[in-house]
Amino acid sequence: MVARVWSLMRFLIKGSVAGGAVYLVYDQELLGSSDKSQAALKKAGEVVPPAMYQFSQYVCQQTGLQIPQLPAPPKIHFPIRDSWNAGIITVMSALSVAPSKACEYSKEGWEYVKARAK
Amino acid sequence: MSESELGRKWDRCLADAVVKIGTGFGLGIVFSLTFFKRRMWPLAFGSGMGLGMAYSNCQHDFQAPYLLHGKYVKEQEQ
Repeated sequence: MVARVWSLMRFLIKGSVAGGAVYLVYDQELLGSSDKSQAALKKAGEVVPPAMYQFSQYVCQQTGLQIPQLPAPPKIHFPIRDSWNAGIITVMSALSVAPSKACEYSKEGWEYVKARAK
Repeated sequence: MSESELGRKWDRCLADAVVKIGTGFGLGIVFSLTFFKRRMWPLAFGSGMGLGMAYSNCQHDFQAPYLLHGKYVKEQEQ
């Protein structure tokens, strides 16, 4: 009798946890359109770091530990799109002038060889 | 489609993919721990579902300007 009640209780607890998770996902519209997902990600990015900081401060206060202040990560500003586009443009313009340049250099080389042979 | 709009669409797609895969993974963890005796397949199933939903959303987003939506019109009797 007690074992049956206990297994029923366990099932109800597990069911409520799983149902709560599913309801949370439905309520926050995480599996909906991409606009709402992007808004949810942005909101999480704004809320989570201060919450983590407050939690770490609370843990430090309760335990007396001192977490050392980490230096700020370096901000790397490398415009990948601009450098990729510039690279493509450079390669394509080099390929487009390659035949005329090859002709010009071979002509100059020929003139040089003729001048040296005289 | 202008380049800035294309960039915005790619940003939206990546954010959507991260959220959906994470949500699927999280739900997979919950169900694995509660009902499926800590097996791995609910995690893979949830992540795969999230990835598929994100891919479908992205595909619809990129094809949106070119999709034609037709409708049936009843013939009017003269």
